[in-house]
Amino acid sequence: MFIAQVVCYAQPIGTYLGDERFMYAETKQVNQFFRRFNSEEDLSGKRLDAKSREFKNPEFRRKYIPMLFDNETGKIEEALKKDFIQDVTRKDQPKLLDFYGKDWFAEVKASFRYKGKVETVILFLSLEQEALGHKWVISNVYFKHFADLFFNEKDMAGKFIHPMSHELDFMNLIKVFRDGKNLEYYFDNEYKPDFRTLFLYEVKKGDLVFEAVDDVSFHFFQLDNWYFELTEFNRHTANSGWLISNLTKIPENQKDLLLKYIYYEK
Amino acid sequence: MLKNKITLASIVLLLVSGTAWAQDEVSPERKQAIDSLALEKVRDLSKYISIIGSKETPFSEANRVIERALELFMEGSQMGVSSINRKRVNYYGIKEYFERLMALNYDRVNIEWYNINYISDLVRQPDGKYVGVITIYQRFTGESDDGLKYVDVTKKDITVYVERKQTQIGGRIIGFWDVLLGDIRVTETRKG
Repeated sequence: MFIAQVVCYAQPIGTYLGDERFMYAETKQVNQFFRRFNSEEDLSGKRLDAKSREFKNPEFRRKYIPMLFDNETGKIEEALKKDFIQDVTRKDQPKLLDFYGKDWFAEVKASFRYKGKVETVILFLSLEQEALGHKWVISNVYFKHFADLFFNEKDMAGKFIHPMSHELDFMNLIKVFRDGKNLEYYFDNEYKPDFRTLFLYEVKKGDLVFEAVDDVSFHFFQLDNWYFELTEFNRHTANSGWLISNLTKIPENQKDLLLKYIYYEK
Repeated sequence: MLKNKITLASIVLLLVSGTAWAQDEVSPERKQAIDSLALEKVRDLSKYISIIGSKETPFSEANRVIERALELFMEGSQMGVSSINRKRVNYYGIKEYFERLMALNYDRVNIEWYNINYISDLVRQPDGKYVGVITIYQRFTGESDDGLKYVDVTKKDITVYVERKQTQIGGRIIGFWDVLLGDIRVTETRKG
Protein backbone atom coordinates (compact mmCIF):
# COMPACT_ATOMS: atom_id res chain seq x y z
CA MET A 1 0.00 0.00 0.00
CA PHE A 2 2.31 2.71 -1.19
CA ILE A 3 -0.22 5.47 -0.69
CA ALA A 4 -0.01 4.75 3.00
CA GLN A 5 3.69 5.49 3.11
CA VAL A 6 3.67 9.08 1.98
CA VAL A 7 4.06 12.21 4.04
CA CYS A 8 1.67 15.11 4.20
CA TYR A 9 2.32 17.77 1.59
CA ALA A 10 -0.01 20.54 2.62
CA GLN A 11 -0.04 22.98 5.47
CA PRO A 12 -1.00 20.96 8.51
CA ILE A 13 -4.40 21.36 10.14
CA GLY A 14 -3.32 19.46 13.24
CA THR A 15 -0.54 17.22 14.47
CA TYR A 16 0.55 13.64 13.88
CA LEU A 17 -1.58 11.47 16.11
CA GLY A 18 -0.07 8.26 14.88
CA ASP A 19 -3.10 7.01 13.00
CA GLU A 20 -2.70 8.77 9.67
CA ARG A 21 -1.60 5.74 7.66
CA PHE A 22 -5.14 4.58 6.84
CA MET A 23 -6.34 8.12 6.28
CA TYR A 24 -3.78 8.71 3.53
CA ALA A 25 -4.73 5.46 1.86
CA GLU A 26 -8.47 6.08 2.12
CA THR A 27 -10.11 7.46 -1.02
CA LYS A 28 -11.53 10.36 0.93
CA GLN A 29 -13.76 11.98 -1.68
CA VAL A 30 -15.40 10.98 -4.95
CA ASN A 31 -13.25 13.76 -6.38
CA GLN A 32 -10.19 11.85 -5.20
CA PHE A 33 -11.51 8.68 -6.82
CA PHE A 34 -11.57 10.51 -10.19
CA ARG A 35 -8.10 11.92 -9.66
CA ARG A 36 -6.61 8.62 -8.56
CA PHE A 37 -8.32 6.71 -11.36
CA ASN A 38 -6.94 9.11 -13.96
CA SER A 39 -3.58 9.64 -12.19
CA GLU A 40 -4.14 13.36 -11.76
CA GLU A 41 -2.66 13.62 -8.28
CA ASP A 42 0.48 12.40 -6.59
CA LEU A 43 0.64 9.96 -3.73
CA SER A 44 0.12 12.67 -1.15
CA GLY A 45 -3.05 13.93 -2.84
CA LYS A 46 -1.47 16.96 -4.47
CA ARG A 47 -2.64 17.81 -7.98
CA LEU A 48 -0.18 16.83 -10.68
CA ASP A 49 0.92 19.37 -13.24
CA ALA A 50 -0.62 18.45 -16.60
CA LYS A 51 2.91 18.49 -18.06
CA SER A 52 4.38 16.11 -15.50
CA ARG A 53 5.39 12.58 -16.48
CA GLU A 54 3.03 11.04 -13.94
CA PHE A 55 -0.06 12.91 -15.17
CA LYS A 56 -2.50 10.37 -16.64
CA ASN A 57 0.44 8.03 -17.02
CA PRO A 58 -0.75 4.46 -17.84
CA GLU A 59 1.93 2.85 -15.62
CA PHE A 60 0.91 4.96 -12.65
CA ARG A 61 -2.74 4.19 -13.31
CA ARG A 62 -1.98 0.47 -13.36
CA LYS A 63 -0.59 0.90 -9.82
CA TYR A 64 -3.37 3.15 -8.59
CA ILE A 65 -6.49 1.47 -9.96
CA PRO A 66 -6.12 -1.90 -8.14
CA MET A 67 -6.34 0.06 -4.88
CA LEU A 68 -9.59 1.66 -5.98
CA PHE A 69 -11.51 -1.61 -5.70
CA ASP A 70 -13.20 -2.93 -2.59
CA ASN A 71 -10.62 -5.66 -2.02
CA GLU A 72 -12.02 -6.94 1.25
CA THR A 73 -15.41 -8.41 0.48
CA GLY A 74 -14.15 -10.41 -2.52
CA LYS A 75 -17.23 -9.57 -4.56
CA ILE A 76 -15.31 -8.83 -7.74
CA GLU A 77 -13.29 -11.58 -9.42
CA GLU A 78 -9.57 -10.93 -9.76
CA ALA A 79 -9.57 -11.90 -13.44
CA LEU A 80 -12.31 -9.36 -14.18
CA LYS A 81 -10.42 -6.62 -12.34
CA LYS A 82 -7.28 -7.45 -14.30
CA ASP A 83 -9.17 -7.34 -17.58
CA PHE A 84 -10.68 -3.97 -16.62
CA ILE A 85 -7.36 -2.43 -15.57
CA GLN A 86 -5.65 -3.65 -18.71
CA ASP A 87 -8.41 -2.22 -20.89
CA VAL A 88 -8.67 1.22 -19.26
CA THR A 89 -4.90 1.78 -19.11
CA ARG A 90 -4.07 0.87 -22.69
CA LYS A 91 -1.39 3.21 -23.99
CA ASP A 92 -3.02 3.70 -27.39
CA GLN A 93 -6.60 4.23 -26.14
CA PRO A 94 -6.70 4.93 -22.41
CA LYS A 95 -10.16 5.18 -20.83
CA LEU A 96 -10.43 8.05 -18.38
CA LEU A 97 -13.21 9.35 -16.18
CA ASP A 98 -14.62 12.81 -16.73
CA PHE A 99 -16.40 14.55 -13.86
CA TYR A 100 -18.27 16.77 -16.30
CA GLY A 101 -18.94 13.96 -18.74
CA LYS A 102 -22.29 12.22 -19.04
CA ASP A 103 -23.17 8.63 -18.16
CA TRP A 104 -22.52 8.70 -14.45
CA PHE A 105 -25.04 9.47 -11.76
CA ALA A 106 -25.76 9.20 -8.05
CA GLU A 107 -28.26 6.93 -6.32
CA VAL A 108 -29.45 8.38 -3.02
CA LYS A 109 -31.51 6.33 -0.61
CA ALA A 110 -33.42 8.79 1.53
CA SER A 111 -35.97 8.48 4.31
CA PHE A 112 -39.27 10.27 3.94
CA ARG A 113 -42.28 10.26 6.23
CA TYR A 114 -45.26 8.96 4.23
CA LYS A 115 -48.69 8.45 5.76
CA GLY A 116 -47.24 8.41 9.24
CA LYS A 117 -44.46 5.91 8.50
CA VAL A 118 -40.79 6.34 7.57
CA GLU A 119 -40.25 4.98 4.05
CA THR A 120 -37.30 4.82 1.66
CA VAL A 121 -37.40 6.85 -1.53
CA ILE A 122 -34.61 6.41 -4.06
CA LEU A 123 -33.50 9.54 -5.83
CA PHE A 124 -31.23 9.44 -8.87
CA LEU A 125 -29.21 12.60 -9.44
CA SER A 126 -27.04 13.64 -12.34
CA LEU A 127 -24.88 16.65 -13.15
CA GLU A 128 -26.31 19.26 -15.46
CA GLN A 129 -24.76 22.37 -16.91
CA GLU A 130 -26.56 25.65 -16.28
CA ALA A 131 -25.59 29.27 -16.75
CA LEU A 132 -22.02 29.72 -15.46
CA GLY A 133 -21.53 26.28 -13.99
CA HIS A 134 -22.97 22.93 -13.07
CA LYS A 135 -25.52 21.56 -10.62
CA TRP A 136 -26.88 18.19 -9.51
CA VAL A 137 -30.47 17.58 -10.59
CA ILE A 138 -32.99 14.88 -9.66
CA SER A 139 -33.25 12.89 -12.87
CA ASN A 140 -35.31 9.93 -11.66
CA VAL A 141 -37.23 8.72 -8.62
CA TYR A 142 -38.22 5.28 -7.35
CA PHE A 143 -40.73 4.74 -4.57
CA LYS A 144 -42.15 1.28 -3.95
CA HIS A 145 -45.60 2.64 -3.18
CA PHE A 146 -45.70 4.29 -6.62
CA ALA A 147 -44.41 1.17 -8.35
CA ASP A 148 -47.06 -0.96 -6.64
CA LEU A 149 -49.74 1.20 -8.23
CA PHE A 150 -48.88 0.34 -11.82
CA PHE A 151 -48.96 -2.69 -14.12
CA ASN A 152 -49.25 -5.24 -11.37
CA GLU A 153 -52.24 -7.12 -12.79
CA LYS A 154 -51.25 -10.49 -14.24
CA ASP A 155 -54.50 -11.05 -16.10
CA MET A 156 -54.89 -8.38 -18.76
CA ALA A 157 -57.80 -10.12 -20.47
CA GLY A 158 -60.58 -7.71 -21.45
CA LYS A 159 -58.65 -4.66 -20.28
CA PHE A 160 -59.20 -2.51 -23.34
CA ILE A 161 -61.79 -0.13 -24.77
CA HIS A 162 -63.17 -1.96 -27.77
CA PRO A 163 -62.71 -0.36 -31.19
CA MET A 164 -66.37 0.47 -31.81
CA SER A 165 -66.84 2.31 -28.53
CA HIS A 166 -67.02 5.63 -30.36
CA GLU A 167 -70.37 4.67 -31.82
CA LEU A 168 -71.83 4.56 -28.31
CA ASP A 169 -70.30 7.85 -27.19
CA PHE A 170 -67.77 5.84 -25.18
CA MET A 171 -70.50 4.91 -22.71
CA ASN A 172 -68.34 1.93 -21.64
CA LEU A 173 -65.92 4.30 -19.91
CA ILE A 174 -68.06 3.75 -16.84
CA LYS A 175 -66.73 0.17 -16.70
CA VAL A 176 -63.17 1.35 -17.28
CA PHE A 177 -63.27 3.69 -14.30
CA ARG A 178 -64.94 1.10 -12.14
CA ASP A 179 -61.72 -0.83 -12.72
CA GLY A 180 -59.73 2.21 -11.49
CA LYS A 181 -56.89 0.15 -10.00
CA ASN A 182 -55.99 -1.07 -13.46
CA LEU A 183 -56.59 2.16 -15.36
CA GLU A 184 -53.05 2.20 -16.80
CA TYR A 185 -53.89 -0.80 -19.03
CA TYR A 186 -56.35 1.41 -20.93
CA PHE A 187 -53.60 3.90 -21.81
CA ASP A 188 -51.58 3.87 -25.03
CA ASN A 189 -48.65 1.50 -25.42
CA GLU A 190 -46.12 4.28 -25.00
CA TYR A 191 -47.45 5.25 -21.59
CA LYS A 192 -44.91 5.06 -18.78
CA PRO A 193 -45.76 6.33 -15.30
CA ASP A 194 -43.64 9.32 -14.34
CA PHE A 195 -42.61 8.82 -10.72
CA ARG A 196 -40.95 12.22 -10.61
CA THR A 197 -44.29 13.96 -11.12
CA LEU A 198 -46.00 11.72 -8.56
CA PHE A 199 -43.16 12.43 -6.15
CA LEU A 200 -43.46 16.19 -6.67
CA TYR A 201 -47.21 15.98 -6.18
CA GLU A 202 -46.91 14.07 -2.90
CA VAL A 203 -44.19 16.38 -1.57
CA LYS A 204 -46.08 19.52 -2.55
CA LYS A 205 -49.25 18.15 -0.96
CA GLY A 206 -47.25 17.58 2.22
CA ASP A 207 -47.79 13.80 2.23
CA LEU A 208 -44.11 12.98 1.65
CA VAL A 209 -41.78 14.78 4.05
CA PHE A 210 -37.99 14.48 3.78
CA GLU A 211 -36.23 13.10 6.85
CA ALA A 212 -32.64 12.21 5.98
CA VAL A 213 -30.17 10.77 3.53
CA ASP A 214 -29.41 7.15 4.43
CA ASP A 215 -27.02 5.97 1.75
CA VAL A 216 -25.29 7.16 -1.41
CA SER A 217 -23.64 5.31 -4.28
CA PHE A 218 -22.63 6.17 -7.84
CA HIS A 219 -23.17 4.34 -11.12
CA PHE A 220 -20.63 4.75 -13.91
CA PHE A 221 -21.48 3.94 -17.52
CA GLN A 222 -18.81 6.29 -18.88
CA LEU A 223 -16.23 3.74 -19.95
CA ASP A 224 -16.97 1.84 -23.15
CA ASN A 225 -18.07 -1.73 -22.48
CA TRP A 226 -17.87 -1.37 -18.70
CA TYR A 227 -20.17 -0.53 -15.84
CA PHE A 228 -19.10 -0.07 -12.25
CA GLU A 229 -20.60 1.07 -8.99
CA LEU A 230 -18.84 3.29 -6.49
CA THR A 231 -19.62 2.86 -2.77
CA GLU A 232 -18.16 4.34 0.37
CA PHE A 233 -16.54 1.83 2.75
CA ASN A 234 -16.17 3.24 6.23
CA ARG A 235 -13.69 0.86 7.85
CA HIS A 236 -10.38 1.13 9.62
CA THR A 237 -8.15 -0.36 6.93
CA ALA A 238 -6.10 0.97 4.05
CA ASN A 239 -8.79 -0.28 1.64
CA SER A 240 -11.46 2.23 2.61
CA GLY A 241 -13.37 5.25 1.36
CA TRP A 242 -14.91 5.50 -2.12
CA LEU A 243 -14.17 2.22 -3.88
CA ILE A 244 -15.47 0.19 -6.82
CA SER A 245 -17.95 -2.24 -5.28
CA ASN A 246 -19.39 -3.75 -8.42
CA LEU A 247 -17.90 -4.28 -11.89
CA THR A 248 -19.53 -5.63 -15.03
CA LYS A 249 -18.20 -6.03 -18.53
CA ILE A 250 -21.13 -5.17 -20.75
CA PRO A 251 -21.46 -4.36 -24.46
CA GLU A 252 -22.58 -0.82 -25.15
CA ASN A 253 -25.83 -1.98 -26.75
CA GLN A 254 -26.85 -3.80 -23.56
CA LYS A 255 -26.25 -0.97 -21.13
CA ASP A 256 -29.88 0.15 -21.43
CA LEU A 257 -31.02 -3.11 -19.86
CA LEU A 258 -28.72 -2.64 -16.91
CA LEU A 259 -29.84 0.96 -16.57
CA LYS A 260 -33.48 -0.19 -16.41
CA TYR A 261 -32.53 -2.65 -13.68
CA ILE A 262 -30.81 0.09 -11.67
CA TYR A 263 -33.84 2.34 -12.11
CA TYR A 264 -36.10 -0.49 -10.84
CA GLU A 265 -38.04 -0.39 -14.09
CA LYS A 266 -40.20 -3.38 -14.96
CA MET B 1 -9.56 42.01 14.77
CA LEU B 2 -7.43 38.91 14.26
CA LYS B 3 -9.94 37.63 11.74
CA ASN B 4 -9.79 40.91 9.83
CA LYS B 5 -6.01 40.70 9.72
CA ILE B 6 -6.13 37.17 8.41
CA THR B 7 -8.67 38.07 5.75
CA LEU B 8 -6.70 41.11 4.64
CA ALA B 9 -3.51 39.07 4.51
CA SER B 10 -5.33 36.45 2.47
CA ILE B 11 -6.68 39.06 0.07
CA VAL B 12 -3.20 40.48 -0.40
CA LEU B 13 -1.84 36.98 -0.97
CA LEU B 14 -4.38 36.39 -3.69
CA LEU B 15 -3.87 39.79 -5.28
CA VAL B 16 -0.14 39.33 -5.43
CA SER B 17 -0.19 35.80 -6.72
CA GLY B 18 -1.29 36.73 -10.23
CA THR B 19 -2.76 39.61 -12.18
CA ALA B 20 -2.88 38.86 -15.88
CA TRP B 21 -5.61 36.31 -16.35
CA ALA B 22 -9.34 36.28 -16.84
CA GLN B 23 -11.14 37.85 -13.92
CA ASP B 24 -13.46 34.98 -13.08
CA GLU B 25 -11.43 32.00 -14.15
CA VAL B 26 -9.34 30.03 -11.70
CA SER B 27 -5.88 29.28 -13.03
CA PRO B 28 -3.89 26.42 -11.43
CA GLU B 29 -1.68 28.98 -9.64
CA ARG B 30 -4.71 30.84 -8.36
CA LYS B 31 -6.28 27.56 -7.31
CA GLN B 32 -3.25 26.95 -5.09
CA ALA B 33 -3.62 30.36 -3.49
CA ILE B 34 -7.34 29.77 -2.94
CA ASP B 35 -6.58 26.35 -1.44
CA SER B 36 -4.26 28.05 1.06
CA LEU B 37 -6.90 30.60 1.99
CA ALA B 38 -9.59 27.92 2.34
CA LEU B 39 -7.28 25.78 4.43
CA GLU B 40 -6.59 28.77 6.64
CA LYS B 41 -10.33 29.14 7.28
CA VAL B 42 -10.58 25.43 8.07
CA ARG B 43 -7.63 25.76 10.42
CA ASP B 44 -9.41 28.66 12.15
CA LEU B 45 -12.53 26.52 12.45
CA SER B 46 -10.62 23.58 13.93
CA LYS B 47 -9.00 25.92 16.43
CA TYR B 48 -12.39 27.36 17.40
CA ILE B 49 -13.93 23.88 17.77
CA SER B 50 -11.10 22.85 20.13
CA ILE B 51 -11.64 26.00 22.23
CA ILE B 52 -15.44 25.67 22.31
CA GLY B 53 -15.23 21.99 23.30
CA SER B 54 -12.62 22.50 26.02
CA LYS B 55 -13.94 22.43 29.59
CA GLU B 56 -11.26 24.96 30.55
CA THR B 57 -12.84 27.63 28.34
CA PRO B 58 -15.04 29.98 30.41
CA PHE B 59 -18.69 30.13 29.28
CA SER B 60 -18.50 33.75 28.13
CA GLU B 61 -15.29 33.11 26.15
CA ALA B 62 -16.82 30.03 24.51
CA ASN B 63 -19.83 32.08 23.43
CA ARG B 64 -17.54 34.74 22.00
CA VAL B 65 -15.62 32.10 20.05
CA ILE B 66 -18.90 30.63 18.75
CA GLU B 67 -19.77 34.04 17.31
CA ARG B 68 -16.34 34.23 15.67
CA ALA B 69 -16.66 30.72 14.30
CA LEU B 70 -20.07 31.51 12.84
CA GLU B 71 -18.50 34.35 10.86
CA LEU B 72 -16.58 31.76 8.85
CA PHE B 73 -19.81 30.28 7.49
CA MET B 74 -22.41 31.04 4.86
CA GLU B 75 -25.79 31.68 6.41
CA GLY B 76 -27.92 28.55 6.82
CA SER B 77 -24.99 26.14 6.88
CA GLN B 78 -25.63 22.79 8.55
CA MET B 79 -23.79 19.87 10.08
CA GLY B 80 -24.85 16.40 8.93
CA VAL B 81 -23.69 13.78 11.43
CA SER B 82 -23.64 9.99 11.05
CA SER B 83 -22.05 7.17 13.02
CA ILE B 84 -20.26 3.93 12.13
CA ASN B 85 -23.29 1.79 12.80
CA ARG B 86 -25.86 4.18 11.43
CA LYS B 87 -25.29 5.81 8.06
CA ARG B 88 -28.42 7.89 8.45
CA VAL B 89 -27.58 11.56 8.82
CA ASN B 90 -28.76 13.76 11.70
CA TYR B 91 -28.84 17.44 10.86
CA TYR B 92 -27.91 20.38 13.08
CA GLY B 93 -27.57 24.09 12.42
CA ILE B 94 -23.94 25.17 12.81
CA LYS B 95 -24.75 27.27 15.88
CA GLU B 96 -26.69 24.41 17.47
CA TYR B 97 -23.74 22.10 16.83
CA PHE B 98 -21.34 24.49 18.58
CA GLU B 99 -23.74 24.92 21.50
CA ARG B 100 -24.10 21.16 21.89
CA LEU B 101 -20.32 20.84 21.79
CA MET B 102 -19.99 23.47 24.52
CA ALA B 103 -22.58 21.74 26.70
CA LEU B 104 -21.13 18.20 26.49
CA ASN B 105 -21.41 16.41 29.78
CA TYR B 106 -17.75 15.45 30.35
CA ASP B 107 -15.35 16.74 32.95
CA ARG B 108 -12.52 16.86 30.46
CA VAL B 109 -12.71 17.16 26.68
CA ASN B 110 -9.76 17.02 24.32
CA ILE B 111 -10.20 17.69 20.61
CA GLU B 112 -7.20 17.04 18.39
CA TRP B 113 -6.78 17.29 14.63
CA TYR B 114 -4.85 14.86 12.47
CA ASN B 115 -2.05 16.17 10.34
CA ILE B 116 -3.83 15.33 7.13
CA ASN B 117 -6.20 17.10 4.79
CA TYR B 118 -7.55 16.62 1.30
CA ILE B 119 -8.64 19.47 -0.94
CA SER B 120 -10.97 18.79 -3.87
CA ASP B 121 -11.06 20.57 -7.20
CA LEU B 122 -13.13 23.73 -7.38
CA VAL B 123 -16.30 23.34 -9.43
CA ARG B 124 -18.28 26.30 -10.68
CA GLN B 125 -21.95 26.60 -9.75
CA PRO B 126 -24.65 28.11 -12.00
CA ASP B 127 -24.37 31.44 -10.09
CA GLY B 128 -20.65 31.72 -10.86
CA LYS B 129 -19.37 30.93 -7.37
CA TYR B 130 -16.93 28.07 -7.02
CA VAL B 131 -17.48 25.23 -4.58
CA GLY B 132 -15.04 22.67 -3.22
CA VAL B 133 -14.69 20.30 -0.28
CA ILE B 134 -11.87 20.01 2.26
CA THR B 135 -11.62 16.80 4.25
CA ILE B 136 -10.01 16.73 7.70
CA TYR B 137 -9.97 14.28 10.62
CA GLN B 138 -10.58 14.91 14.31
CA ARG B 139 -9.99 12.83 17.44
CA PHE B 140 -12.36 13.55 20.31
CA THR B 141 -11.72 12.40 23.86
CA GLY B 142 -14.25 12.96 26.64
CA GLU B 143 -13.51 11.89 30.21
CA SER B 144 -15.62 11.92 33.35
CA ASP B 145 -14.31 12.06 36.91
CA ASP B 146 -15.80 8.64 37.54
CA GLY B 147 -13.34 7.17 35.04
CA LEU B 148 -15.59 6.90 31.99
CA LYS B 149 -13.78 7.69 28.77
CA TYR B 150 -15.22 8.18 25.29
CA VAL B 151 -12.99 8.44 22.22
CA ASP B 152 -13.97 8.75 18.58
CA VAL B 153 -12.37 9.70 15.31
CA THR B 154 -14.48 11.64 12.84
CA LYS B 155 -13.97 12.65 9.25
CA LYS B 156 -15.20 16.14 8.45
CA ASP B 157 -16.00 17.05 4.84
CA ILE B 158 -16.28 20.82 4.79
CA THR B 159 -17.90 22.73 1.93
CA VAL B 160 -15.90 25.73 0.77
CA TYR B 161 -17.45 28.51 -1.33
CA VAL B 162 -15.15 30.77 -3.29
CA GLU B 163 -16.44 33.98 -4.76
CA ARG B 164 -14.91 36.77 -6.76
CA LYS B 165 -15.57 40.07 -5.00
CA GLN B 166 -14.44 43.67 -5.27
CA THR B 167 -13.20 46.14 -2.71
CA GLN B 168 -12.00 49.71 -2.83
CA ILE B 169 -8.47 50.34 -1.57
CA GLY B 170 -7.10 53.87 -1.87
CA GLY B 171 -9.71 54.82 -4.45
CA ARG B 172 -8.93 51.84 -6.64
CA ILE B 173 -11.39 49.02 -7.17
CA ILE B 174 -9.59 45.75 -6.68
CA GLY B 175 -10.95 42.28 -7.25
CA PHE B 176 -10.24 39.49 -4.81
CA TRP B 177 -11.38 35.97 -4.03
CA ASP B 178 -13.32 35.49 -0.83
CA VAL B 179 -13.80 32.14 0.90
CA LEU B 180 -16.69 31.09 3.14
CA LEU B 181 -17.39 27.71 4.69
CA GLY B 182 -20.69 25.89 4.13
CA ASP B 183 -22.32 22.60 5.14
CA ILE B 184 -20.17 20.07 6.98
CA ARG B 185 -20.63 16.32 6.78
CA VAL B 186 -19.35 14.58 9.90
CA THR B 187 -18.74 10.83 9.62
CA GLU B 188 -17.64 8.77 12.59
CA THR B 189 -14.83 6.55 11.35
CA ARG B 190 -13.76 4.81 14.52
CA LYS B 191 -14.47 4.54 18.18
CA GLY B 192 -11.27 4.64 20.19
